[in-house]
Amino acid sequence: MTVLLSLRGLHKAYRGDAAPFALDVPAFDLAEGEALALAGPSGSGKSTLLMMLALATPPDAAEEFTFAGQDITRHWRAGRRDALAELRARCIGVVPQTGGLLPFLTVEGNIALTQRIADRPDAARVRALADELGIRAQLGKRPAALSVGQRQRVSIARALAHRPSLVLADEPTASVHPELADAVLALLKRECAAAGAALLVATHDPDRAARAGYPVLVCETHAPGADGIARSVFARAPLAEAA
Amino acid sequence: MLRLALADLWHERVLFLCSALGCAAVLAPLIVLFGLRQGVVAGLRAELLEDPRAREIVSVVNRTLEPALFERLAADPRIAFVVPRTRALSATIVLENPERQGNGIRVELLPTAQDDPVLPGLSVLDQDELVLSATALQRLGLSVGDRVMASVARSRGREREVLTLPMRVGGVAPLAAAARDAAFATVPVLLLAEDFLDGTAPADARPASEAEARRRPFAGFRLHAARLEDVPALDREFRLAGIEVASRAEAVAGLLRLDRNLALLFVAIAGAGGAGYLVSLGVGLWAQVERKRRDLALLSLLGLKRRALLAMPLIQAAAVALAGAALAFGIAAAVATVLNRAFAGTVTGDRPVCLLNAFMAAGAAGVTLAGALVASLLAGLRAAAVAPAEGLAEG
Repeated sequence: MTVLLSLRGLHKAYRGDAAPFALDVPAFDLAEGEALALAGPSGSGKSTLLMMLALATPPDAAEEFTFAGQDITRHWRAGRRDALAELRARCIGVVPQTGGLLPFLTVEGNIALTQRIADRPDAARVRALADELGIRAQLGKRPAALSVGQRQRVSIARALAHRPSLVLADEPTASVHPELADAVLALLKRECAAAGAALLVATHDPDRAARAGYPVLVCETHAPGADGIARSVFARAPLAEAA
Repeated sequence: MLRLALADLWHERVLFLCSALGCAAVLAPLIVLFGLRQGVVAGLRAELLEDPRAREIVSVVNRTLEPALFERLAADPRIAFVVPRTRALSATIVLENPERQGNGIRVELLPTAQDDPVLPGLSVLDQDELVLSATALQRLGLSVGDRVMASVARSRGREREVLTLPMRVGGVAPLAAAARDAAFATVPVLLLAEDFLDGTAPADARPASEAEARRRPFAGFRLHAARLEDVPALDREFRLAGIEVASRAEAVAGLLRLDRNLALLFVAIAGAGGAGYLVSLGVGLWAQVERKRRDLALLSLLGLKRRALLAMPLIQAAAVALAGAALAFGIAAAVATVLNRAFAGTVTGDRPVCLLNAFMAAGAAGVTLAGALVASLLAGLRAAAVAPAEGLAEG
């Protein structure tokens, strides 16, 4: 298995909803095409970790942060925002919590958006994904005319349209009906597997993720210590100790 | 990016229309005001310009002006035309139609030279040619090209001597050049008449060459300024130099003052209105970018580069500005038509009171565009600095 994403000694401090908060990732690897659920109570830093993995926010410190063969820490340190944007455009698909669709584009336009940004137009793939996800009839509509579940599926199609190597989903089931939640999780896993993309899903519900067939990484949370800072640790045994 | 920006505008077309209308509402009165200033001043100026006498400066008291002065005047870039004149008393002549002898009339003899502004279209005049006023031509029963006898008489003791010059009618002077009976002739002809009356020339003398004549001192001059604006200054300079002159300096200065005052008035109103306009435009665009912050953050998260991100508000601002300017100019043009019809033939004669042209349209569009781009660039820079993470977070 090839390592797609590798983190060592990553640290990020931020002010949470109430108390100061620190996120530590001593070691974390993700292989190409691998699916994983990150579980933790709300406010445990799942979204923060996902944002760092989406190359959208920099870590405070990291011994190692490589993604798709590139040294991300170096990009951040050198302020190469366009290089990071390029990497986001080419290699990463994102499913935001509430879909995050552009209201002024049609469903088709929204799905094709990632293709356009990555400069990989492929209308056949847009239609194929729409078929797969059961939103073919909605392609010409605006997002406002869609149900919440349909919007979430459009968002999944958009995250996959440009053939990324990593899909990040932040609580994709938070805004949908519980019955729909299982279907969304299963759909994400199936589509990513079909596309050969690695998948990271942040969820507050590890049981549901496990039921959908995801390996689950639960975060360890530590109550505020003497310094008053709550800690949250995501640790995963390295994939290739030998290497 | 262009398609994305325009799709967004189309999606919110009502809002877009509101922005463009708001832009036009402030801009249209400014354009009308500017058009009025242009129209009134241009009308008065054209009225003055049409009259060649407006740029004329004439010395009124007989002096002895040396050739050096005329050389200096001819070299002055502010002076388009200058011709010397002889003493007023010796500048009359009797004209006679050779076909109708005995019916001579006495006319004023006026100097002219090449490219005389009061005689447009009659650039070259030979020494044996006269340009007659329409009244003189009619009284003599002559037409252009006919022969005419010009004569000057003097008394020497008891003897009466007459200098007679056979001439031709070279043209008709427009009414503006000479309202009374008058004949325009070259400087040597005037000089000969004066010399004859002074007794320094015999009765059979003929006009000298132009160059020879110009070497002599003259009693006065008539000149035309190159530009209307030069008249007051030249008038003042001659008076300071002790040369009494007559000109329309007062009227010209009045027009220039009006022009300046209108310009000041316009700058004051346009300054206040324009500043308000740019502020309202900028604030509107800023608010629009703020509203789009989430969409922009999302696009950033999806990998859109900063430059492309910045282009979105810029394109939208440019669209609002251009649509607004076009709308404003349309409204202003309609208002101008109404004004021109209402004021037809009053303030500025048959000229439009409100003058709009393509140059002004381009100017209005340019200023609007520049203001819009600066405002949205500032807002856009702020938006582009938005962390892409905002696109992922709950908004």
